[in-house]
Amino acid sequence: MSKNRRGIALVATSIASVLVLAGCSPELERGFLPDASGVTNHTDRIIGLWTTSWIVLLAVGFVSWALMAWALVVYRRRKGETGLPAQLRYNMPIETLFTVIPLILVLGFFAFTARDMQAIEAKNETPDVTIEVIGKQWSWDFNYVNEQVFYSGIQAQFTGEEENISETLPTLYLPINKTVKIDLSSRDVIHSFWVIDFLYKKDMFPGMTNHMYFTPTKEGTYAGKCAELCGEYHSMMLFQVKVVSEQEYAAYIAELAAKGNVGQLSNDYDRNQNLPGNNPEVRG
Amino acid sequence: MATTLTPTLTNPVSFTPKRSKGQILVDWLTTTDHKKIGYLYLITSFLYFMIGGVMALIIRAQLTLPGLDIVASKEQYNQLFTMHGTIMLLMFATPLFAGFANVLMPVQIGAPDVAFPRLNAIAYWFYNFGSLIAVSGFFTPQGAASFGWFAYAPLSNTTFSPGIGGDLWVFGLALSGFGTILGGVNFITTIITMRAPGMTMWRMPIFTWNTLVTSILIIMCFPPLAAALFALGADRKFGAHIFDPENGGAMLWQHLFWFFGHPEVYIIALPFFGIVSEIFPVFSRKPIFGYRTLVYATIAIAALSMTVWAHHMYVTGQVLLPFFAFTTMLIAVPTGVKIFNWIGTLWKGSITFETPMLWSLGFLVSFVFGGLTGVILASPALDFHLSDSYFVVAHFHYVVFGTVVFAMFAGFYFWWPKFTGKMLNERLGKIHFWLLFIGFHTTFLIQHWLGVMGMPRRYATYLPEDGFTEMNMISTLGAAILALSMIPFLWNVWITARKGVKTELKDPWGYGRSLEWATDSPFPRHNFHSIPRIRSESPAFDLNHPEYASPEAKESYAKEGRI
Repeated sequence: MSKNRRGIALVATSIASVLVLAGCSPELERGFLPDASGVTNHTDRIIGLWTTSWIVLLAVGFVSWALMAWALVVYRRRKGETGLPAQLRYNMPIETLFTVIPLILVLGFFAFTARDMQAIEAKNETPDVTIEVIGKQWSWDFNYVNEQVFYSGIQAQFTGEEENISETLPTLYLPINKTVKIDLSSRDVIHSFWVIDFLYKKDMFPGMTNHMYFTPTKEGTYAGKCAELCGEYHSMMLFQVKVVSEQEYAAYIAELAAKGNVGQLSNDYDRNQNLPGNNPEVRG
Repeated sequence: MATTLTPTLTNPVSFTPKRSKGQILVDWLTTTDHKKIGYLYLITSFLYFMIGGVMALIIRAQLTLPGLDIVASKEQYNQLFTMHGTIMLLMFATPLFAGFANVLMPVQIGAPDVAFPRLNAIAYWFYNFGSLIAVSGFFTPQGAASFGWFAYAPLSNTTFSPGIGGDLWVFGLALSGFGTILGGVNFITTIITMRAPGMTMWRMPIFTWNTLVTSILIIMCFPPLAAALFALGADRKFGAHIFDPENGGAMLWQHLFWFFGHPEVYIIALPFFGIVSEIFPVFSRKPIFGYRTLVYATIAIAALSMTVWAHHMYVTGQVLLPFFAFTTMLIAVPTGVKIFNWIGTLWKGSITFETPMLWSLGFLVSFVFGGLTGVILASPALDFHLSDSYFVVAHFHYVVFGTVVFAMFAGFYFWWPKFTGKMLNERLGKIHFWLLFIGFHTTFLIQHWLGVMGMPRRYATYLPEDGFTEMNMISTLGAAILALSMIPFLWNVWITARKGVKTELKDPWGYGRSLEWATDSPFPRHNFHSIPRIRSESPAFDLNHPEYASPEAKESYAKEGRI
């Protein structure tokens, strides 16, 4: 009896200490996601779904682990024990219970997921800013569609030593609090456009265009990485997004225009045209 | 006449004439005995496990610090993770299933062999040569395939991956895939047609049930892979344009690949669920809890697994998210049923912790966490961030390594006396377990955080300012511990073979349930000299513990007046 009570006390203390620790750290509060709160109009929604999901799931997990631990300690075969336990084969009510409860949890989880992904994927065909991002082995081209200027990036150059690499990375500028639509495509293989602090990525395909819609709501510089294996220098296919004030954005556009980056880059030189048999002389 | 035959039937003399090394070699190369073919599968797949493991160690070494150059080039790094994935999925885990199923399933249903012994042999040789062809890419000038084990088009075509290694990968896997399909056909036929009298479907051991369901999955999802591989091969060798992006080929390949690829995950999980389902009852001294629900859960998982493939493609923006999210989440229900059935087997048991049990418990604890992260990934809203990150890498190592490797060692320690007639050393087995358990969790738990913070998978290196360095160091340290854990195991196998004591017992664990524990250790050539009555899913247990036997067996004993 006292053994059982000690066990319960131990479990209670550990749960309590987890809760106390949870109160302490902001990293834990957002489930160790990057500090993305308020970065776009979607991030708070994602952080919310992430943290509530984890609380429920960990509760389920701890119940399972606790049941296992309990069984292993309490039902271990004692020294000198003989005979066998009752040969219980099934118990319909309990089996029904552990089918129905997970089913209810799953339906709930699906409902919240459906709500949030609908919001994240909602289309906006009249955005304030339209950007075309073109992936290429192993960098990025940015077309500022409204302003008819472009930026053409090169592969990240780094040696592994501490250095300020962000100066040299391809950079996409976005004005704060404007609705943005990004058209994603590729000039060769599949890439994936991942801005880590936006908590969102989308694949870029040759031969078709994908879209993403959001509103950046916090000024800052955000790291971006290619997230789909695209060949040898996949890990060098880095970029960053700078969310800036409207004035800074206008100044950057003017700078691009002054450099002569006027017009738009296109996928006319898609390398898939070089596939064997794709010789234009044969195809006409 | 019958009297002269009787002695050979009841009292077999194991007459083994001295054979030369050449004769032994020819015997193994030409065998159609299901057990020998099974051992060939087990040995070959374990060798690939170690080769794939060495590749993993090089990968981990490369990632220890930012900007390292352990590998000669990033291309070489890509080859390593491509072949690591290919080897672990298709040359280790899948044939490991074929190995366990070959050795055990016929014995568990009381059959003398599989239905098609020669087909069984050719299936093994297809696997063996197909795998050799795929791996031989490393010996070509441009190296092995480097487009990732899922070979996304157009990266996998000759414009972007011109090397011969890619061709060897495509055609080698196609050949080995036929081996897998033929194996599946064989297992299904054997289970349907060759069960011993009394072995009804509802009396089959869970491992045999899972072999059946897995084989059905194989014949549904490996043929599309074979078709897709030949189409890719036609693109690469004959300019066929099947996977041209212009024709939507990039998405076509993803659909075909994952239509195979997701059920494949269950092909390598279900048999190993079967192994632990055999082990928990023996060391809890109780029957499996909820036998029928467990079987229905397995069937439900298999059926659902055919409907979830596009959850690997949420971020393509080209799939119906709600449908695939819903089916994927539903899989959590039968999986949860299984977990609670295993806990129910432990509940009110009389539990001891011999090595097979320890490994099975290691599986159970790890797999629960893999299941939880799986539910997270099922939600597109969360997967948009996590897809193709180390969170995914961590997740699938928890479910796949946590299942296949833990259950494989559980099965090795459990059935070693049936394979060889000798028990593996328990103390070395426990050292092996704890080293591997600690190494595994040190390597992979931290990778969840890496992924959430933004480390993409398949990156040959990262920036110091990413802040991934410490976590990668921990992960690499874990991988080293994991590798070290192989030493006590290999030593154990060696020392047991050299100095192990032969067990005279049919059931050295004392509480074995299925038919393999009612025959000699090691198995006789045709599996049984006599078969006990089969009145439940635990015929060996009914035989050895009549006072605790199943109700059906007790009824039969009462009729005979034995109790």
